[in-house]
Amino acid sequence: MPTPKDDNERITLLQGTLDLLILRVLLLGTCHGQGIAKAIQRQSEEVFFVDHGSLYLALQRLEDSGLICAKWGVSENNRKARFYLLTERGRAQLIAKTTWWNRLTRAMELILSPVNEEV
Amino acid sequence: MIWRRRRDPKDFAEEIRAHLQLEADDLEASGVNTREAERLARVAFGNTVAAQERFNLRGRAMWLEHLLQDVRFGLRMMMRNRAFTAVTVLTLAIGIGASTTAFTWINAVLLQPLGGVADPNRLVTVETVMSNGSWVPNSYPDYQDFRDHLKLFDGIAVTHIAAFSVGKEDHAERVWGEMVSGNFFSVLGVRPEIGRLFLPAEFSDTPGKFPIAVMSDRYWRSHYGADPSVVGRTIRINQHELTIVGVVEPAFHGSIPVTAFDLWIPYMQQPVLNGVKEWMLRDRHNRNMLGIARLKPGVTFDQARQELKVLADRMAVANADVSEGMSATLLPLWKSPHGPQGLLVGPLRILMGVCVLVLLIVCANVANLLLARATVREKEFSARIALGAGRVRLARQVLTECLLLTGSGAVLGLALTPWLSHALKYLMPPGNLQLLVSMDQRPNFAVLAFTAGVCVLAALAAGIAPALQVGQLQLNSQLNANGRNGGAGRSRNRLRSALVASEVALALVALVGAGLFARGFQQTLRIEPGFDPNHVLLSQFYLSTNGYSLAQRKEFCRRLAERMGSTPGVTDVAYSDGVPLGFEPSWWEELRIDGYAPRPNENMNIFRNVVSPGYLPLMHIPILEGRNFTDEDNENSTEPVMIVNQSFARHFFADRDPIGHKIHGWGDWFRVVGVVADSKYHYLGEPATPYFYVPFRQIYREDMNLAFYIRSAGDPDDMLSTLRTQARAIDPNVTVFDAAPLKEFIGASLYPQKVAASLMTVLGVVALLLATIGLYSVMAYSVVQRTHEIGVRMALGAQPASVLRMVIGHGLALTAMGLAAGAALALALARTLAGVSFTNSGMGTHASLMGGSAKDPLVYAAAALFLCVVSAVAAWLPARRAASIDPMKALRTE
Repeated sequence: MPTPKDDNERITLLQGTLDLLILRVLLLGTCHGQGIAKAIQRQSEEVFFVDHGSLYLALQRLEDSGLICAKWGVSENNRKARFYLLTERGRAQLIAKTTWWNRLTRAMELILSPVNEEV
Repeated sequence: MIWRRRRDPKDFAEEIRAHLQLEADDLEASGVNTREAERLARVAFGNTVAAQERFNLRGRAMWLEHLLQDVRFGLRMMMRNRAFTAVTVLTLAIGIGASTTAFTWINAVLLQPLGGVADPNRLVTVETVMSNGSWVPNSYPDYQDFRDHLKLFDGIAVTHIAAFSVGKEDHAERVWGEMVSGNFFSVLGVRPEIGRLFLPAEFSDTPGKFPIAVMSDRYWRSHYGADPSVVGRTIRINQHELTIVGVVEPAFHGSIPVTAFDLWIPYMQQPVLNGVKEWMLRDRHNRNMLGIARLKPGVTFDQARQELKVLADRMAVANADVSEGMSATLLPLWKSPHGPQGLLVGPLRILMGVCVLVLLIVCANVANLLLARATVREKEFSARIALGAGRVRLARQVLTECLLLTGSGAVLGLALTPWLSHALKYLMPPGNLQLLVSMDQRPNFAVLAFTAGVCVLAALAAGIAPALQVGQLQLNSQLNANGRNGGAGRSRNRLRSALVASEVALALVALVGAGLFARGFQQTLRIEPGFDPNHVLLSQFYLSTNGYSLAQRKEFCRRLAERMGSTPGVTDVAYSDGVPLGFEPSWWEELRIDGYAPRPNENMNIFRNVVSPGYLPLMHIPILEGRNFTDEDNENSTEPVMIVNQSFARHFFADRDPIGHKIHGWGDWFRVVGVVADSKYHYLGEPATPYFYVPFRQIYREDMNLAFYIRSAGDPDDMLSTLRTQARAIDPNVTVFDAAPLKEFIGASLYPQKVAASLMTVLGVVALLLATIGLYSVMAYSVVQRTHEIGVRMALGAQPASVLRMVIGHGLALTAMGLAAGAALALALARTLAGVSFTNSGMGTHASLMGGSAKDPLVYAAAALFLCVVSAVAAWLPARRAASIDPMKALRTE
């Protein structure tokens, strides 16, 4: 059983970043909601905690805007589950948003960790 | 937004259940027991119900939230720019308030003309059509035929407007009411408040039967203190006792729009109350009944009209002696020419048009102000776009702010309407009609809906340009240019130019409209009536309501004329039935002229007046040939006589001398004894009309009116007290009469034109003022924006004079474009307006409101010139300021 981390050590996801993370997880293959939440928590080394209510709302939003689609299927342990997969539009969006995010983080880094400015 | 088929909430719930199971499976796999695992899974998920609710609300919640954000932000912006908000809201309140008032009137007069009746949409007016196509009221025998033979109607009723004298002789009061067919209330579907209305047993055609009366709620409250025991009591009307059987419900005011009556009495009481001879009730010539019919459910207007026409055509053949060539038709209630609505329809349409014009100008002004402000807010918008706000979202924000502004304007405007609505009275001519005008003041769904619609339309009209501009913001240029004002956007300049041009165009339309109406009115005023109304006091007596017989009335006239004639200062005295250029319907008689063969279908109903010998000299109507009436032309003379006018002589006698010829009317042969000059009889703009006069003492009948004229050397008003004293001296009980200088009275026939002209002038001035303010602010603003450019030009050696020329030239170029568009629009509108006519008197005659001035080039030229001057000044003032500043300073303003 994974020990739930203290809330202080977790970072609430920035508005809009959850969508990006979901798209990234789905790039690797279809997955159901619970799996997506698990994947995000695991890959962020338990820093990001996904509020499950928000997760499903985000999934719905993505589905509504045609970035992902869904169908009912059977999980690895034979449970019925709704599986999500990335659409072409979702893939394009993921690439665009990732590029944008990389530029943002690079710019943030340049400002926040100046190399030789303060002498 | 495209709506996908919404996902079923059940499906979503199912997904959550699956999630919880998968989570529990994971926990169980790591060694937790089943029940604990399920519990922990639920805890980890949190509130499932909330999640489902959020799922259900997803689309709506966001939309509502955004709207609330927009409204909050919009309100903050309004509060921050108080001056801007105040100016905008006030202009909008003027525009919306005026439109709402106009609509309130139109609603009361045209759309929902009658209150307190059942299913008003099925009620129609029944009009008899003359062989020349004009509409006239119905006769009682016609009504009986209609009533008994029409199948597609749920009843047809007739009514006759009448003044009653209520109470004892010495303190009688005049009350207006209707004399109606017995089935009147049942056809209209009116309910009693207390007591009862007329019963089927009382729907009788027997003269004098059923002396009963129904009164209005208003009269019951003011005269009986709303005492329910009034039912069954008697009321003294025209010196006869009638039994009050009931009071109608408060919403019912009678069968004529915007008119409030107080008494309803069966028409069959005419012989008793007004001394009308019984044969007159059976006379098809006696057309004094307005008809209202109710269509059966499922019957269309056209079917009913067809049935009525077929019957009327048959009746015209069957009663060829009186009704040859006549027919009948149905009209919507508001189209009947026999009530105030006939007067109001034309002016109200124009009023609505003008209000739309004012509203458009207001919208253009607000759009301009918003555009100017949008330029200032460009930085804010750019920043929000850079932070990721959608352009659509921003455009919606701009529209929301606009809606807040128009909404506030609408609320303010609505608050003004109850006061403005009362002004309807001033649209009515002075006299009886004005007393009767009443408006339903209760909040009205139609009016509120109209205002809301206007409010949204105004928001769209004013907000669409600024919203589009936000959509086109060039993010890069904005951020790169460091938010320099006014540099960016040729498209914006085009937009502003278009707005300036449209303001000029609208102002031109307003000015031209006002000019055309004023000129039309002026032209009408210059028309000579053909008689001299100055220094004449006119009084109208209602003697029959005092119980006078025909002989007593004639005797009263003779004695009053005698007494007034000997009063110092009085030069002439006369009396007659009809008053020229008045509002009362004019009457005619069907004539047969010896030696004249009428063409097929020729209208031989000729208008006439019944006058005393003094009438023609008093009116200064010249007698061209033959003689005037004398006192010998009386009841005892062997042969009745007649005087015709010039048009009559020209038309029916061509080259022959009319004097001595015989003409048949009223069942008798008249000898023509004189020819008089033409004058105006119904309205000033009328063409020359055949007309004739017959002597009072030979022709005067029970159902005729009594007008008394006194010509004096001085102010006619000075004669009023003498007249009152003398009338009392003959009979102390004569209290019921109206008096007014003839000059004022005949002004009534000009009323629709006067109203149209004054409305256009008032609203035209408002429109012009608004357009001038708009024009000036836009011009001034665009010059301020070009300060930098002007600075550069001057730094490069441009002279102030050439800068001035450039700026004014630019302004005038825009003005010229606007004028061209406005002139085209104004010409088109004027052509439409020239077709707007009004009906005056009960004649169904149509007179043009505008006269022949629709294309008057002088009006167009003057309006255009005026606007050129206004825009030149509007450009010149800020340009002079710009040209006078130091170029260096101008450059540094950046």
